[in-house]
Amino acid sequence: MKVLVVDDSRTMRVIITKALAQLGFGDVTEAADGREALELFNSNSFDAVLSDWNMPNMNGLEFLKEVRQINKTIPFIMITTEAERGSVVAAIQAGVTDYVVKPFTQDALRKKLEQRITSLV
Amino acid sequence: MLPKINISIIRLVIWEIDMSTATKHTSELTAKIINPLLSSTRDVFEMMLDCTPVRSGLSLKTKNSPENELSAVIGITGNASGTIVLSVKKQTALNIYESMLGTKAVEIDREVMDAIGEITNMIAGAAKAKLESYSLSISIPNLISGKGHEVHYPTGVTPICLSFESDMGSFCIEAGFASKE
Repeated sequence: MKVLVVDDSRTMRVIITKALAQLGFGDVTEAADGREALELFNSNSFDAVLSDWNMPNMNGLEFLKEVRQINKTIPFIMITTEAERGSVVAAIQAGVTDYVVKPFTQDALRKKLEQRITSLV
Repeated sequence: MLPKINISIIRLVIWEIDMSTATKHTSELTAKIINPLLSSTRDVFEMMLDCTPVRSGLSLKTKNSPENELSAVIGITGNASGTIVLSVKKQTALNIYESMLGTKAVEIDREVMDAIGEITNMIAGAAKAKLESYSLSISIPNLISGKGHEVHYPTGVTPICLSFESDMGSFCIEAGFASKE
């Protein structure tokens, strides 16, 4: 199980990677923005993508749209502060699989990841 | 002989006068964001840092320098424009970093600044979601450190300063907004 974690905050990448490791998923690749993530996505095979929304160079929604041009089914979970209805609708229309709103407790994050990612194993 | 006066009532009256003055002289929008900022700050600290911050003050800012030596600054645009600042002391920043990542830090480095920026991003993002009718967007946080640094707000806007005490240490949220009407 290979997971791509995309966030411009190293702090968030560490928190998400730790939660994945606790669930037994240690094969994680990190990217700091959508552009870097897209390059990695084009040259590697991943089983799931976890991405922030607000990032420099290419934001999470733009990255999601690019991913869906390449792969329509890969689980793509947006982890973001963008909680307004309009943002959630835009992400759903672009093909997001699930949505986690920051802030979250460690337990809530683990549960959400468990629901979406362990089902793929 | 002077009558006995209940000191706590005097404090309450002074507090209410302060609150009233603070909201009267700042822009209407800055006043509107106080409650969303209070609740989003509490939510972020409770969920991400496992502690409940307690508000210790509300005042108008009369100078451009934030209260503490490290500031995370987020710009807001949309049907209103403004700035939200999380201002923390060095030790508060180190405590927040340790709580988020489970690792100790002794100096304010890029990693500590990143953690403070992310906490500020969450506070601003959660407050923005509570002001949905303004269609606001938030910038990526900028971090500024050093005693006496300055943060400037939109012309004519007097920012407010919300002070908090918490298990992480004391900190302030500063904000100033103007609508685009």
